[in-house]
Amino acid sequence: MMPRGVATVLAVALLTAAAGAQTASPVRPIQFSDTRLANGLRVIISEDHFAPVYAIAVSYSVGSKDERPGRTGFAHLFEHMMFKGSDNIGPGEHFFLVFNNGGSMNGTTNTDRTLYYEVMPRNQLDLGLFLESDRMRSLAITKENLDNQRQAVQEERRLRLDNQPYGKSAERFNELAYDNPAYHHSVIGSMEDLNAATVEDVAGFFRTYYAPNNAVVAIVGDVDTKDTLTRVEKYFGNIPRQPSPAPVDLAEPEMKAERRETMQDRLARLPQINIGYKIPPATHADFPALSALGQILGNGESSRLYQRLVKTQELCANIGSGSTQRLGPGLFNITCAVRPGKNIADAEAAITDEIARLQTAAVTSEELQRIRSSARRGSVSIRESTLARAQSLADNAAVYNDPNRINTNAQKIAAVTAADVQRVAGRYLQTTNRVVVHTLPATAPAVAPPAPVAK
Amino acid sequence: MKPLRILATMLLAAAPAAAQDSPAAQQPTDFKGVVLKNKAPVSNDVLRVTFRRPFEGKLKNGMELMVLEEHRSPTIQVEIAVPASTMYDPEGVPISAAMTSLMRLGTKSRDAKTIAETLAGLGAQITFNVGDRYAYARFSTLSENLDAVLELTSDMLFNSTFPEDELAKWKNQQLSVLQQARAQPEFLATERFAQAMYPEDRRSYLLPTPEGVGRITRAMVLDQYAKVYRPERGRVTVLGDVTAKDIAPKLEKLMASWTGKGSAPPDLPLPTATKGRRIILVNRPGSVQTAFYIGNHAIDRLSPDYIPVQVLNRVLGGGPASRLFRNIREEKGYTYGISSGFSATRYFNHFASQTSVRTEVTADALREILKEFADIRTTPVPADELQNAKRALVAGFALGTENPAAALGNATQIKEYGLPLDYWDTYPEKVAAVTAADVQRVAQKYIPVDDIVIVAVGDAARIRAPLATFGTLEEWDAEGKRVAN
Repeated sequence: MMPRGVATVLAVALLTAAAGAQTASPVRPIQFSDTRLANGLRVIISEDHFAPVYAIAVSYSVGSKDERPGRTGFAHLFEHMMFKGSDNIGPGEHFFLVFNNGGSMNGTTNTDRTLYYEVMPRNQLDLGLFLESDRMRSLAITKENLDNQRQAVQEERRLRLDNQPYGKSAERFNELAYDNPAYHHSVIGSMEDLNAATVEDVAGFFRTYYAPNNAVVAIVGDVDTKDTLTRVEKYFGNIPRQPSPAPVDLAEPEMKAERRETMQDRLARLPQINIGYKIPPATHADFPALSALGQILGNGESSRLYQRLVKTQELCANIGSGSTQRLGPGLFNITCAVRPGKNIADAEAAITDEIARLQTAAVTSEELQRIRSSARRGSVSIRESTLARAQSLADNAAVYNDPNRINTNAQKIAAVTAADVQRVAGRYLQTTNRVVVHTLPATAPAVAPPAPVAK
Repeated sequence: MKPLRILATMLLAAAPAAAQDSPAAQQPTDFKGVVLKNKAPVSNDVLRVTFRRPFEGKLKNGMELMVLEEHRSPTIQVEIAVPASTMYDPEGVPISAAMTSLMRLGTKSRDAKTIAETLAGLGAQITFNVGDRYAYARFSTLSENLDAVLELTSDMLFNSTFPEDELAKWKNQQLSVLQQARAQPEFLATERFAQAMYPEDRRSYLLPTPEGVGRITRAMVLDQYAKVYRPERGRVTVLGDVTAKDIAPKLEKLMASWTGKGSAPPDLPLPTATKGRRIILVNRPGSVQTAFYIGNHAIDRLSPDYIPVQVLNRVLGGGPASRLFRNIREEKGYTYGISSGFSATRYFNHFASQTSVRTEVTADALREILKEFADIRTTPVPADELQNAKRALVAGFALGTENPAAALGNATQIKEYGLPLDYWDTYPEKVAAVTAADVQRVAQKYIPVDDIVIVAVGDAARIRAPLATFGTLEEWDAEGKRVAN
């Protein structure tokens, strides 16, 4: 591995503006090796000998953006299939081995990528590599496995969406915001499309997207870089590469007018407002300023929206705002629950007014200081978890082709100026560029009183 | 600075019977929901780790001090704990929560907005709360801001003004919080289960009542503050980028004029298992799943059965390798997740399993869960399954070393419950000593079958009839009111 730099005393003092704050030493960059095997697999290794554990994260450059019409939810359903066995691993044996040997693991799917991880004691390095490579090489694609996981995924949809207040609103909100099918639908997908998925779909998806040249393996922890790279080569080196999948067009037409809708929700008790402004991808030069704007407006008790809508006017029970980081166009979201007895239109008007005020009440140096402190906390906390680092390295490489975003993201946010924030607010937070969904608690249809129970 | 301070030695697993790379060694158990090919390279060593012990000392005011130095990153976390208990709060009246919330909302020199802005500027968090046995002041900060955060904590701890208008705003906000909680099926299930387990006292209230919130006055908050934050028999724990030598004088200064005796936590009886089968249906119209919470009283933390019970739970419902997950999710496909666990503290002594299943399979899922409960009582756990569970418990310790707060938590548990000083050092041996007969004995004692509380939250119109096949139902609404029978 690369030598660690000695902390330099001359670095930027990030926190000098805070009252009583002493000079902060800079957070040293996270060091990592970055190698590509002959079959195209990108391998990133970062040593950390703090604890006798390691984390492995495998990120495939495939997400719900890659689903074809009529197959919404498929990338996530496929993720579940990855735990149902391969040539040398039986159905369910993956999690059985990991948990019974003191580890933990999971998989997660979003619009842009699918990520799998294990965290295990360091003596189980071969186990982690074997498990990940065997399923990349030889997934067991059977109807039985598919039907089995289709049920688990449908329960997941019910748990997270259909049986939750505001669940359907979140899904509808996305549909309204995006015209391009890539981001138009929910990651979990529709029940109908989940039912329609076939083993042929699984086989095709596996061949196209689960190839070594479409994946990144990141390993962080109590390992030796050279030795680990040799082992990765041994386990993954002979998995054949596949033709690269064609990139999906994520472009969105410019919005010309505000879009809004009102949903009735039987499970909700308070009205909710979801507002989303279309913003550029996470790699766009304006993105750091949009991140800062999200914090200034709606992150925590010191934020403008909290102070006005929750504290002063008591219109909302809670409020938050932030930017979704995506490979394609993102959304600047504002969400709040309206208090009982308060008017949803008043709450929305106050939010809109607070956004307009960004043009007159300039961002203060104190607000920028909060952004920098928060960025520094983020940089520090990612160093406290091997898993967080492995996931960040793998995802930044798989989605953005830039693992070093783990180091540069926080720096870019810390460098944002008041003028930057004002400019991006003026550019993107326009009424014609937004989607608004109101959710109202639905009155339940009249039901007969419960019949007396037998017995 | 040397980053690795964990003693790590390699031991052979206590019994090789379950060596997963020797498939022919024995007749393998048929693990429901899983097919084992036994071809993966598994290390049979169990990495044995020793948790670091914190420095222990005393502050001049008599408070205990524990410091676990950790210079991996420039952060420091401090917890000040003094005797107090929410169990003294009147039922449904969140007086402790009102007090601790208001401590963040105004001091003699700072208003609520200034406090929020100062904290965000420092990138720090300061929180106050009252638990079962202690009132806490906690902060977490970047190392370079330690002095500023100590000053702010001191201001909030000693100079709070409990403003009348902030109290009014807080009370209003709580009414929304209660509404949001009642929209959640998991909350409704947990609430009804707690009411069934601990009907006699404050333990049955997961959240206050709207009436209880309404009753709180500023005078009550001031009176509560006068009783609660008192240092005698308290404890300060420090974790992170600071030495005991550096932090001790700063803490002395913070607490220089702090005196007084808080209230010793109450003695609450630990209830014994509810007799018979009690089925509680909570009607949440429009639900597409049934949220279950199923269990009964079991053990408290000081029970001699504590360790065998950990092994038992690992087999039954602790994690995705357990029976409940493999059967109810992987084989049957009734749910996205299911687990079980023992709440074993000084005041809580129950076992429970929780899951959400689609409405259509409410009865089928309940039948399977009860079958798993019965099976582990009647049939001894096979050797390989037992070995897996024990190995998982011990090997999992390695992951805990990544988070130094776990080491501090272990040290605190030793103090809290008067455990032997080598309790965690010898934990692997204690786990290794658990036999299949032990597991069966504690299963028969604590896994409920005939005497059991079953809470089901869902659309009553659709699940009333299937649930009624299991016995007499009592029905409640989502407001927490009994509606039938």
